[in-house]
Amino acid sequence: MKRPRKISTILGASLGLLLVVVSGPNPALAHKAKHTPEQLKAFEQAFLEQVKVGDMLFHGDGATQKRLGVTLSNTGMACAMCHPFASDTHPYTFPKFQEQVSKFATLRDMINWCIEKAAEGEKIEDDSDAMKALETYIYWSNRGSKLDPGRH
Amino acid sequence: MDDYGRDRDRLRLLRSKARLKWWRKIGASKETESQRREMDRVLRQPGEHPDRTMELTRRMFIHKSLLAGAAAGVASAGWFPWLNTIDLAFGAEAFKFVWVSDSHLYPKTLNTRFIDKLTRAIKEVQAMSPPADFLIYGGDLAQLGDPVELDLGAEILKEVTIKKVFIPGEHDWYLDMGVKWEKLFGKSSWTFDHKGVRFIGLDTVSRGPDYWTAKKMTPQERMGHMATLDGSVAGAWAGVGRDQLAWLSTTLSNWPKNKPVVIFSHNPLYEYYPPWNFWVRDWREVHEVLTPFTNVTNIHGHTHQVLYNEIGKVRSIGMLATSWTWPYAPEGVPTLTKCKVRVDPGDPFDGVGWSKLAVNAAEKIENDYVMWRKDILGDAPWDSGCADNANQILSPRLADREWPYYGAYK
Repeated sequence: MKRPRKISTILGASLGLLLVVVSGPNPALAHKAKHTPEQLKAFEQAFLEQVKVGDMLFHGDGATQKRLGVTLSNTGMACAMCHPFASDTHPYTFPKFQEQVSKFATLRDMINWCIEKAAEGEKIEDDSDAMKALETYIYWSNRGSKLDPGRH
Repeated sequence: MDDYGRDRDRLRLLRSKARLKWWRKIGASKETESQRREMDRVLRQPGEHPDRTMELTRRMFIHKSLLAGAAAGVASAGWFPWLNTIDLAFGAEAFKFVWVSDSHLYPKTLNTRFIDKLTRAIKEVQAMSPPADFLIYGGDLAQLGDPVELDLGAEILKEVTIKKVFIPGEHDWYLDMGVKWEKLFGKSSWTFDHKGVRFIGLDTVSRGPDYWTAKKMTPQERMGHMATLDGSVAGAWAGVGRDQLAWLSTTLSNWPKNKPVVIFSHNPLYEYYPPWNFWVRDWREVHEVLTPFTNVTNIHGHTHQVLYNEIGKVRSIGMLATSWTWPYAPEGVPTLTKCKVRVDPGDPFDGVGWSKLAVNAAEKIENDYVMWRKDILGDAPWDSGCADNANQILSPRLADREWPYYGAYK
């Protein structure tokens, strides 16, 4: 009775090892070639474009909201009215226990809280383009601040 | 214990460790202080000091919650400038006056939140017994200068039956360049004497450089850029201007140098944070005019926060908004300021309010911030609106430096 179990254990372990070796890190994701300055420039441009889109949303621009299909405020408010230069958004303190929502929260949770409660707008999808852009603008504006997750 | 309970406990422990670090950090941050000192050195000649009759006292006021923290506070601050018990002048007659400002009203159809708050302030002013001698409305009655907003504000302010005087804010002015505002409230700068005090209302908003003509902006676009606090398109719009400086000089020429002068302005008359126009660009010239006077108090709006400063012989007190509170700027907060409490964004009535100012029988001005929450000031660093930002490094915007840029509030 013992032998078959031993064999099956060995077989199972071998198969597992084989799977790990075969599936390994996906080669398509590995970066083989060195970056060119043009590539780096392109990466930066892609990022800064999102900073600007986020800035427009953060400052209540109607056309950008319409294009992205979001309504960040129904009362004429904008995020920047309470957060000039994205100050007091404290992105470097997330994730943390957030008093207002009474739960452990990410920056995205807090962005949505502000949209719904402070600006009286309509909650946006967590992985939407608008959310990513807002997050980008907030992080970029606070770059250089020391990471301090969990701080109230 | 549920997950959230465990998170809370863990975070409580981490926070208590962080607080210790925080105290040390705040003690070490002296850059801003050295800048303020330098400015003060330039303006205050050797041996000069604000008039001794303006000595700050330690008088406490209505908010008893502060008393608990007083013992700790007195050890570090030594005195309580935020309470602003200031001797004005010997011989002044006892009286009260009231400051209300920065209501940023929208049309009723769009947003009633700010209307509710101004209405509450006005009801409280009207209920004062004995009544105040006058009310100064310190600007930004409207959000986008819309005649509907200004009319609405004028209507709400009618509820107050005492004397009212007005100075404009930038939000009132730049849709029609002050036409509607002046029609409703008269001249944008003025002076009057009251019971031994010379009061002056300054217009610090209407002399902004023309940023709109060359770019062919509509009045709405011009207003939108003016209304964006952290926008760079409108530039350094806050200023007193040469003509008004000359007028100020003439106005003060027949006033004794040691008698009290109170100057109302929308913007602070010193350099706090130019990118948000938390200043007037010609503040040095203003102080030149004021230099001979030993008893000057500037009371200002625009900054929506508890502020106190001394430059040379001039004291400045920042007033609360009725609408919403601004965060403290990333630099330049006067070291004499005891910062307001970290505000709860979920409570529209937190961090906002108005001010009662009294000249009492002992010739002192007492400024009582009437904030619609028990706590006004944050004593502990984790509750302070300034210390909370000790770890924050901010960058100015990019989007508003590219033209055409139409990302202003609409």
